Amino acid sequence: MAVALTAAAAPATAAGTARTMAAMKLAVLRHSMNGQKAGLIAVGGTLGLVLAGGTLFAAFQSGDLLAAAYAVWMLGWILGPVFSGGGDETLRPEYFTLLGLPPRRLAGGLLVGAFVGVAPAISLLALAGLAVSGVRQSPAAVLAALPAMLLQLAIFVLLSRVAVAALGIALRSRAGAIGTGLVNGAILAALGQGWVFVVALGQAGGITPEASAVLRYLPSGWGLAAVEAVGAGNWAHAGLALGAMAVLVALLLAVWAALLTRRASAARASARGRRPMTASTASGAVTAKELRAWSRDLVRTHQLTFAVAYGVFFAAAPLVLGVDVMLPWAGPIFIVMAAAMTAGLYAVDGTALWLTLLVPGAADVRGRQRAWLLVVGPVAVALALACTAAVTGGPWPMVLALTAALLGGGAGIVPLMSVYALVPGTDPHRRGGNPLRVSEDDGALTGMAYAVLALVALTGAPAAVAVVLYGWAGVAVGVVTGVLCWWGFGLLAQRRLHARGPELLQTMRTGKRPASASGDWGSFDELPKRERIIVAVCMTIAAIPLFPQGVVPALFKINDVESKSWFLALHLAEAFQWPVIVMMILLGLGLYVLGAWTFYRHRRR
Amino acid sequence: MTPALEIVGLSKTFGEKVAVDHVDLTVPQGSFYGLVGQNGAGKTTTLSMAVGLLRPDGGSARIFGADVWTDPSRALSMVGVLPDGLAMPERLTGREVLTYLGLLRGLSRQVVAERAEELLSVLELDVAEKTLVIEYSTGMRKKIGLATALLHAPRLLVLDEPFEAVDPVSAATIKTILRGFVAGGGSIVLSSHVMALVEQLCDHVGVIDGGRVAAAGTLEQVRGDLSLEDTFVGLVGSADTGTKELSWLSR
Repeated sequence: MAVALTAAAAPATAAGTARTMAAMKLAVLRHSMNGQKAGLIAVGGTLGLVLAGGTLFAAFQSGDLLAAAYAVWMLGWILGPVFSGGGDETLRPEYFTLLGLPPRRLAGGLLVGAFVGVAPAISLLALAGLAVSGVRQSPAAVLAALPAMLLQLAIFVLLSRVAVAALGIALRSRAGAIGTGLVNGAILAALGQGWVFVVALGQAGGITPEASAVLRYLPSGWGLAAVEAVGAGNWAHAGLALGAMAVLVALLLAVWAALLTRRASAARASARGRRPMTASTASGAVTAKELRAWSRDLVRTHQLTFAVAYGVFFAAAPLVLGVDVMLPWAGPIFIVMAAAMTAGLYAVDGTALWLTLLVPGAADVRGRQRAWLLVVGPVAVALALACTAAVTGGPWPMVLALTAALLGGGAGIVPLMSVYALVPGTDPHRRGGNPLRVSEDDGALTGMAYAVLALVALTGAPAAVAVVLYGWAGVAVGVVTGVLCWWGFGLLAQRRLHARGPELLQTMRTGKRPASASGDWGSFDELPKRERIIVAVCMTIAAIPLFPQGVVPALFKINDVESKSWFLALHLAEAFQWPVIVMMILLGLGLYVLGAWTFYRHRRR
Repeated sequence: MTPALEIVGLSKTFGEKVAVDHVDLTVPQGSFYGLVGQNGAGKTTTLSMAVGLLRPDGGSARIFGADVWTDPSRALSMVGVLPDGLAMPERLTGREVLTYLGLLRGLSRQVVAERAEELLSVLELDVAEKTLVIEYSTGMRKKIGLATALLHAPRLLVLDEPFEAVDPVSAATIKTILRGFVAGGGSIVLSSHVMALVEQLCDHVGVIDGGRVAAAGTLEQVRGDLSLEDTFVGLVGSADTGTKELSWLSR
C-alpha cells in the first residue's frame, strides 16, 4: 500500500489521479497474488498466451485471418465480464464517490487502472500481430503499427467497460433484463457452436471478399486497416483509420463517464405482481417466497432468459448448415444451463439463512425445489415439445426421457451443491452498483456453475443409455431417475442444512469459507499450489477432447455429416476414426476424473 | 425458577483470536437484561451462540431449560431473535415477510394474517405496503426484524443492537413495545453500547470486555453509586483515557 499512499499525496491533476489508481490496482493485485486467485490467474494467463500465440501465427498467414482473430478478441472483451461476475472490479467507482472527482477524470483514472492487469498485457501481445503484419509490408507500416496497437487496446478495454456499465443500467428494468439475457445467450451459443460457422465458411470457400471488408469495418479491424493502408502507401486512409480510433476512444470514454454517474445502487426490483400469499404450509411459504424472488429479482430474470436463449440458439445453430438433428435438444440444453445459472441457490440469499436456522423443522429445501421446478419446468417442457415436433421423425423417446431426468436432476443437484459447496454471496442489500456481481468470490461461483452443469448433465446419463438400448422404455427410466434425484439429493441437502446450518451462516456472514474439518468438502484454495494448478487445468481443458473432439464428431459420423471442420478424427483414415473418437472421449472423461480425484484426495487429508 | 436464558461457559475462537472466553450469564424470567461492551467485545458472538446461529467451541446455552444445541425445536420455539446486520428475504414486502415466517413457524393462515396486520400498524410499517424489504431504510429494517422476532409470541426476546440507526420516534415506539412485553411476563436480552439507553430500560446488566464477563447482576449491583457510563469506563477503559486531539483540526 505504500506505493498507493505516496502517490495519493498529489492527486490534484488528471495525471495524478490516473497514477494513483494504477498504483492502487498494482497494490491490490500484489496482495491478492496468493491462494486460489494466483492459480486462476496462472491458468487464465496460460490460456491467454496460447490464444495470443495463435493470433500472432495468424498474422504471419493473412490479413483476413488476423482481422477475424481481432474480431474474436473484441467479442471476448465485451462478453467476458458478463459471464465472470461483471468483470474486473478491483477498482470500483463507488470507492471514489466521496472524492467528488469530475466524471471524466474518474473514468480516465479508472481506465488507466484497467490497463494494469494480466488480460490487457496478453491482449497487447496479441495486438503485436499488427507489427508483424507491418513487417510483412514496409518499415513505415511497422511504425504505424505502434500507435495502432495502443489505440486498439484502449478500444478493447473501453468497449468492455462500457458493455458492463450499460448492462448494469439495462438490468434495472424488466425489458432490459430480458433483452440482454436474449442477446447474451444467443452470442454465447454462437461462440459455443463456432464450428458451425467455420464449416459454413469452408463451404463458401474461405473468407469471402465481403466478409473481409466487414471484418475491417468493425472497430477491431481499424488498426489493421491503418497498417495495411500505410503498407499500400495510402497515407490518407491510414490517417483516417488512426483518427477514427482516437475519436472512438474519446467517445467511449465519454459514454463510460456518463454511465458511471448513473451507476447507482443495486438493481431495483420490479413493482408488479403483488398478490397476497395464498400458501398455508411451511414448505408452501418457502415456495411462495422463492417464486416472488424469481419474478422480482431482475438478475434472476436475466439468468432465465439467458438459459432459454442459449438452449434455443445452441440447438438451432446447425440449421445454418441445414442440419436439424440438434434442434430437439433445445429443452434439455435449457434445463442444464438453467441449473448452472441458478447454482448459487442459497448464496444469492446471503445471510437471510438465519431465519431458516431459527425454525429447525421447516422443509426449506423441498420448498425451494418446488419453486425451481415451477419456474424451469414449464419452459423446459414447452421447448422440448415444440422443438422436437418441428423436426420430422424427431427423437421423441430421448427428448422426453432426458427432460424428465434432467428436471429431477436439476431440482436435486442445485440445492445439494448449493449447500455442500457453498460459495458465500454478498447480501442483496449490500451489493455494489454492478448487478452481475453477486459474490466477492466470483471465480468460485463460476466454477460452481460449471460443476453443476456437468453434474446435472450426468443425471441424464442413465435415461439416455436406457433409451439407446430399449427405446421408449427409457422414458420410464428418465422419470424414475428424475424423481429419485429430486427426492434423494433434496433429502441430502436438507440434512446437510440441518447439520451444518450455523457453519453455512458463518460462511455467508464473513464471506470466507471456514477452515474445513478433515474429510469435508472445503474449498479449492486450501489445496497446495501444484494440485490447484492440476485441478484447474484438468477442469478447463477436459471439455475440448470430450465434446468437440469426441461427442460432436461421433454425432457427425452417426448422422453422416460431410464436414470435417477441426475434428481430428474425421481427418484420419476411416479405420482410425472411431478409435480416435473413443480415445478422445475417454481422455476428456479421464481429465475430469483426474481433476476431481486430485481435489477430493486433498480434501480427505 | 428456571432462568429464561442460561449461558454456561460459552467459548468461541476465530483463527487466533479468542472472541468469547468462557462466558457465563443468567437471565432470570421477567427481567430486562442489557448486555454492554465495546465494539468487538464479543456481544454479537455470544448472543449468536446463545440462539443457535453460531456453533460454540465449548459451553452450552439453555432457553427455559431447553438446550439450544441438543433440543433446538423446543428451545427455538420460545425465543424471538433480532440479529444485527443480517439479510432478510429481500424481495418480499413487509407483510409477505411476516406471512412467510409465520407459516414457516407453523402458525395458521388466519393467525398470521391478524398478527401481521397488527404488527405492521403498531410499528408504522403499513404505510410502506408496496415496498420490498431491499428498499427499506436501516430503521425500517430494524422494525421489520423486530416484527419477525415477535410474530410467534415468544417468551424470550434476544435483540442485538435494536436501537442502532433507529430514529427517535420509532425508538420510542419500540421501547413501549418492549416494556409492555416485560410487563406481560416476557424476558428480554438486548445488546447495546449506549449506556443511557440500557440504564433507562434494563433492570439487569452484563458488562462484556475482551470476550469475558467483567461484571453482571442487577443494575444497582453493577453500577453502585456511579452512573453506568462511569462504571463501564472504569471496568473496560484503558489506564490512559486522556483524549488525544487531532493536530490539524485544532487551530
